[in-house]
Amino acid sequence: MATTRDGAPPGWVRLCRSDEIGEAQSRGFDPGDEGQDRLFVVRWQGQLHAWRNACPHVQGAPMAWRRDAYLNAAGTRIVCHAHGAEFMPDSGLCVQGPCRGERLSPIALVVDADGELFVKS
Amino acid sequence: MKIVGLESLVFGVDDIGGAARFLVDYGLTPVELSDRGGRFEAMDGTAVVIARQDDPALPPGPVPGCRLRKTVMGVADEATLGAIAAELRRDREVRRLPDGSIESIDDAGFVLGFQLTARRPFVLAGEISNAPGGVVFRPVNSLGVPPPGSVIRPRSLSHVVYFVPDVVKAEAFYVNRLGFRCTDRFTGTGPFLQPGGSLDHHTHFLIGAPPHMHGVEHFTFHFGGPSEMITNGYRFVEKGYQAFWGPGRHILGSNWFWYFNSPFGCHIEMDADMDQHDASWRPREATASADNSQTFLLKMRKKWYPGPGIPENGDYA
Repeated sequence: MATTRDGAPPGWVRLCRSDEIGEAQSRGFDPGDEGQDRLFVVRWQGQLHAWRNACPHVQGAPMAWRRDAYLNAAGTRIVCHAHGAEFMPDSGLCVQGPCRGERLSPIALVVDADGELFVKS
Repeated sequence: MKIVGLESLVFGVDDIGGAARFLVDYGLTPVELSDRGGRFEAMDGTAVVIARQDDPALPPGPVPGCRLRKTVMGVADEATLGAIAAELRRDREVRRLPDGSIESIDDAGFVLGFQLTARRPFVLAGEISNAPGGVVFRPVNSLGVPPPGSVIRPRSLSHVVYFVPDVVKAEAFYVNRLGFRCTDRFTGTGPFLQPGGSLDHHTHFLIGAPPHMHGVEHFTFHFGGPSEMITNGYRFVEKGYQAFWGPGRHILGSNWFWYFNSPFGCHIEMDADMDQHDASWRPREATASADNSQTFLLKMRKKWYPGPGIPENGDYA
């Protein structure tokens, strides 16, 4: 992907360096400066995954309980801290709670040769 | 039965440190805090208690995944404690615990405790509005807006809201067995319930929901007034916590509200200025739409007059 550290190709938005998100960690982003994180990124078994910050159990419900806190303490599940729904970090599948069987909405992401993380805007 | 209200809520959590910080930032005072858990009190001593979710001393939740493990209610006297024990022993186990409280279970699977209330009475004026022609005014030269840095503390544990799979059965338990009154009702959703020893519009609200929702929607503490509560909410947001709904004011109960996500698998609310009712009150009924739940919802704006920092096309988009 042709880009520079400071810029993003059309249709993509830079979030951060990919190595700023460690294993079993999550981080929220508000690329449109909407006042609330629109998406979050988790690293699970080495791979990064980006999800919309919107729990399927209530339309648009934000999920973290504190800034960047989207996971359980063990870092093994994404948790919606509105009503306790739990999701697999890699597939976004809800495995426990009010929307079991439903999925989080994925957002395409890419890491460039310099290690910069971008998502589809 | 003189049940005066909620005494404490006991949660099992997977991160004691994170949950403890959350409750302190909310405004509660930590007592008995250790790496195994702690107790976090409002001004009158009502509290949230947390313990590790695998602590063998915790009773089970109503369903796996529900982090509320026990709801403790306060009663006015030993006679009420005895009456509750006698009533519930008719069809279920009632355990007498070493601290003198009793423990049993409701018809929706929530473990209940009952104890002589340990609420500490206190006198501290709530928020007073100055109004032309009014009778009660704030002291002259006192301020309506809590100044920066002022200490704001929750006053008392207010109410808990359960998702229950059979709301008719759940309501019948509280009304017929424990002497609660329905103060108002959302049609097809559930009742607001008031115990015999309280005038608060509700200490419990029940929401009929599918079995996979079984658990808690939210719980909340009363604050001293809307200005204090909303100021506390803004401080909470600035600390990085996630608001869900509010600040606004409910219609049934009139309580000011602001809901936040929490590490307890449910929402936590801050509330203020709830209506009080006695037995002469006639319950209302409404559909549970957003229009029937919020009489208004407030929104902060960053700029309110033209000047430096205002975009060319204004700040009103």
